[in-house]
Amino acid sequence: MTTPLRVLVVGFGPVAARFAEDLLPALESGAIELTIVGAEASDAYNRVLVAEYAVGHATLAGMEIADTVALRAAGTRVHTGVAVRSIDRRARTATLSDGSVETWDRLVFATGARALIPPLGGLEQSRLMNDREREALLLRANDQELADGVTALRDLADADAVRLAVRDRRRVIVLGAGVLGLEIALAAAREGADVCVVHTGGFPMGRNLDHGAGHVLTAAARAAGVSLIAHSRIEDVVYTHDEQGRAHFDALLSSDGKMIHGDLLILSCGVRARTELARSARLPVASGILVDSDLSSWGDADVFAIGDCAQVLAKPDELIDLESAPGAPSGLIGPGWRQAEWLAVRLRAEVAGLPAPEPLPMESPSVVTLKAEGVDVVAAGDVSPEPWDDDPVTTGAPRRVAQWADPEHGRYVKLVTRDGVLEAMACVGMPRTAAELTLLYQRRGELPADRSVLLRHDGPDHVAAAASDDPAATVCWCNGVSAGRITEVAAEGHTTVESVGACTRAGTGCGGCKSRIGELLEAYLESSAEAGAEEVAV
Amino acid sequence: MTIASGVADTHCPYCALQCAMTVTAAPDAAAPGPAATIAGRFFPTNRGGLCKKGWTSAELLGSAERLTSPLRRRADGGFDEISWHEALDELAETLRRSRAEHGADSVGVFGGGGLTNEKAYLLGKFARVALGTSRIDYNGRYCMSSAAAAGNRAFGVDRGLPFPVTDLDDADTILILGSNVAETMPPFIGHLEGARAAGGLIVVDPRVSATARLTHDGGGMHLQPTPGSDLVLLLGLIHIVIAEHLVDEEYVARRTVGAAGLARSVSQWWPERVQEHTGVPAWELRAVARRLAASSGSYILTGRGVEQHVDGTDTATAAINLALLLGLPGTGRSGYGTLTGQGNGQGGREHGQKADQLPGYRKITDPDARAHVARVWGIDPDSLPGAGLPAVQLLASLGQPDGVRCLLVHGSNLVISSPDVAAVRAGIERLDLLVVCDFFFTETASLADLVLPVTQWAEEEGTMTSLEGRVLRRRAALAPPAGVRDELWILSELARRLDAPSTFSDKPEEVFEELRLASEGGLADYSGISYEALDRGEEAYWPYPRGSDGTPRLFLDQFAHPDGLARIVPVRPSAKAEPLHQGGALTLITGRLLEHYQSGAQTRRVDELQSAQPEARVQLHPATASRLGIEDGGWIELETARGTARGRAAVTSDIRQDTVFMPFHFPGDQTANLLTLSATDPISGMPEFKTAAVHVRPIPEAIS
Repeated sequence: MTTPLRVLVVGFGPVAARFAEDLLPALESGAIELTIVGAEASDAYNRVLVAEYAVGHATLAGMEIADTVALRAAGTRVHTGVAVRSIDRRARTATLSDGSVETWDRLVFATGARALIPPLGGLEQSRLMNDREREALLLRANDQELADGVTALRDLADADAVRLAVRDRRRVIVLGAGVLGLEIALAAAREGADVCVVHTGGFPMGRNLDHGAGHVLTAAARAAGVSLIAHSRIEDVVYTHDEQGRAHFDALLSSDGKMIHGDLLILSCGVRARTELARSARLPVASGILVDSDLSSWGDADVFAIGDCAQVLAKPDELIDLESAPGAPSGLIGPGWRQAEWLAVRLRAEVAGLPAPEPLPMESPSVVTLKAEGVDVVAAGDVSPEPWDDDPVTTGAPRRVAQWADPEHGRYVKLVTRDGVLEAMACVGMPRTAAELTLLYQRRGELPADRSVLLRHDGPDHVAAAASDDPAATVCWCNGVSAGRITEVAAEGHTTVESVGACTRAGTGCGGCKSRIGELLEAYLESSAEAGAEEVAV
Repeated sequence: MTIASGVADTHCPYCALQCAMTVTAAPDAAAPGPAATIAGRFFPTNRGGLCKKGWTSAELLGSAERLTSPLRRRADGGFDEISWHEALDELAETLRRSRAEHGADSVGVFGGGGLTNEKAYLLGKFARVALGTSRIDYNGRYCMSSAAAAGNRAFGVDRGLPFPVTDLDDADTILILGSNVAETMPPFIGHLEGARAAGGLIVVDPRVSATARLTHDGGGMHLQPTPGSDLVLLLGLIHIVIAEHLVDEEYVARRTVGAAGLARSVSQWWPERVQEHTGVPAWELRAVARRLAASSGSYILTGRGVEQHVDGTDTATAAINLALLLGLPGTGRSGYGTLTGQGNGQGGREHGQKADQLPGYRKITDPDARAHVARVWGIDPDSLPGAGLPAVQLLASLGQPDGVRCLLVHGSNLVISSPDVAAVRAGIERLDLLVVCDFFFTETASLADLVLPVTQWAEEEGTMTSLEGRVLRRRAALAPPAGVRDELWILSELARRLDAPSTFSDKPEEVFEELRLASEGGLADYSGISYEALDRGEEAYWPYPRGSDGTPRLFLDQFAHPDGLARIVPVRPSAKAEPLHQGGALTLITGRLLEHYQSGAQTRRVDELQSAQPEARVQLHPATASRLGIEDGGWIELETARGTARGRAAVTSDIRQDTVFMPFHFPGDQTANLLTLSATDPISGMPEFKTAAVHVRPIPEAIS
């Protein structure tokens, strides 16, 4: 047997777990030898559900995502609670925080992203350091220390702090009204916490929604018990200090002088790819670790990156401005999982001597679905164009925008299309419409020319398509007899349920429709009696 | 042959509900008019009611289209009537020669889920003992195999409903996935009344089917997922049940194994992500999971809509996992079941028509099973062939090198009902010999070299096993037309001509007595059941070992695995059989209508049914129709990678905008299975009937 290919994965989150699981056949056959190094002490869990866990809507068991037993049984070495401190690409080794050294043939970064700690007064560490200093610190300590009562809600330990606050019905301040901030706010409010979301823009989910959708969402969030303070540029985090001099969160201070008090501050100001290790190994990094469409690093064909730490971009022939380069990590799990699956297939093909699979297609902007019960929001793409805007693009089919707004009933839809195919959308308060639009968006399916058909999915007529007094409506399913047919035979003199049954077989199957036949006969007899009375009157 | 009594208490010839009916022969068989009359008969399943198909079933008995003589194909393609003697002599000789020249496996047998237990049993025995072939399978592979595989894997046994149908009457909540019972077995819906009254009927279907409509006006909920997303939907329900602590932990600990990996397998399927894949809003998923968990009586029922997929076994498994987490199966007040379709779809899958199976639901690869059955048959176990090929693979082998060269077809119109029928027809063209036993000149019979006319339900005796695992008596009311024979007689005559060892009785009760012995000790044990007991009115649910009272409710004490525990098997979605939604493709689903049954071989010959549904009406949403320039009632052409078919557009908002529904009862260029895929489930061998990427366009009236 040939020497197995040694694959080292840095990080053990949901994307690494999917990668390892899909590699299993090659692990079991011995073709690949896998080592996973995860900085958190626990096995991989589904980070997407951390907010749910924090408010008690998910259990740790329900968040597990890696079958560590199966992986270990297949010979995988899984190290948790250990971080990779440095990479030597020439020697093909990695040095771990416990001093041990791992050797690899293929290195996979799945380090994910960390919460962005905004540079505010009171969060000095991030305010005072420059990037280089911060990265050096991160390489040593992995994550920034925060004071009591302040959390970025990124891992299980953060979630536990939130869980206590929610349990004790404390006042929770969420800084930032992006998808994640809103999700934790709505979930905590649902569990009875007093929640306030503070944000700089005019409406929540500003990156995903337009003005109209944002305002309908604001009303929905308020109705769900979350207060929102918009237009608030926060400058300082204010603390109280106990007798030991230990700081605890007290309030946010905004530039216009507002003091917003609370017991717990959740920072939800976005995430940043964990790239410091890659950078220290002199791999090209922009907003993420730069990888080609085959997920291999621009700087080393044996090094890969997947998930929230990866920036997928075909390596250009000439220099480009990396600050604004596309392909930045989306922060959504779907693309990461697709990359994990693809890379597993690629490495399995490699050891089997098969050709590499077709490169992954470019990810179109993902659909964002707000995870919140009772507040339905789905968005994708850039929904800022308005119906009356001129389309700046002059070639090809023009961009078209259709819109439905009913703020009184909490409903809003915007559809941005080109050639009848969705380019962007926002949908609030219309769950079934949102679900259908999601499918159409993902499939690049053509919308019905009459866009209002889509809105009907959430209309009351949709579920009551056949009114029970419609003569064409089937009354007896067993025998396919309509209401009209029953009235017809009643007019011929069949005015009892039995007689109708003998004539049309209606009611002679399961019998469930007999009372309905009775009603129809009664209605018929009444109307014919009235008609008779009228005739007499004439 | 049996002596007909003139009046017989029997059961309907069509579906697995097996509604009880009384058939009364017309006093003068020669007089014009129907040969018999039908009356509904009280029975727990149908309570005296019948559907349109049942009421009109007698019309076929005296049909002018009945075959009444063996037919042999001439060189010019026409057929000659020949004597039975000649037909059977020639057939035996051809079969003998094929076996001698090309080996025993050159002869194949294709059975049906409409055959009585006795016929299905004897057919399996005939194949293995008289022909010595392993190449036997049946059309039940198309309908029940995935649910059967999932049931066997989870519970250790496969009985469609492991409880009497009437148990459903008391349920508050019934979740039906992929089954349109209101059209396919209408009297069944009487048993949904309790759940409807409680607002707890939940129907999952891409169409607002007749069954989905029962959820309106407070009856419950209709979930309308995009076709092919059922597995994800079920994983989402499991996710919610786990996340919201709705698991019956005590039940799971006491009665199941394997739950450990389940939470992990569904961790990635949170409700909003499921919404993104299925089109079903997250709130509906939560409401369903909560309702199922909160009810004192909850049932989960699956049908072909979720099972006829390349991941059908895993989808049925997901439904079972959900049921097990909620603690439903084997409690007497809740449960999981699959709704068997064909008349004897249950019994037909227990007694040896399946490629890998011997009577009593025994495995043909199990040495103990082989020894037992060989002992009953008085043969050497080593003379029994091994496992054969499941239906789709069997048909793919027709006329191929080392494939089947002679095919005997019983109770199946396979050129209408098989997936990718154009390929099946091509296989039939390559055969040396096709023999079809049927009572009409079906589309498959028209391709045969030899057609043998057989009896209909009201002309024969035997037993059927209904969807609830209850063994029922089929009884003869009238004598068959002259020239028509019973399949037991045909098999017995052929066996004699082939010098087969063992015995091949042509008397149903004698065959049943042998089936009792052969099934004894197996999973589907019929040894305690007799014609006499059935004729006394005994409610005989299998397993019914000798000396017992049968088993109306399975699993009350334990499941059928050796340790008595149910298996929770984590499953995950796999790649689709073909890419969907590309280049504006719609998704084709197929199914049944109230008026027709299966390939329509029977119902298309009943005036009242045929005039109500004379042609394939293809359902499309108005928005889709308008985009494609299709008008209600206009002719359309449907095209998939397999071929094209035609039908008349039925434009209705009762279907999803991404979905096209075509009934599969029609012949010629209206055959839905010209479009379907022959890709199969890796575990069950069941084909992917329910999702195909299809393009639809209007065609001028003139072409059609």
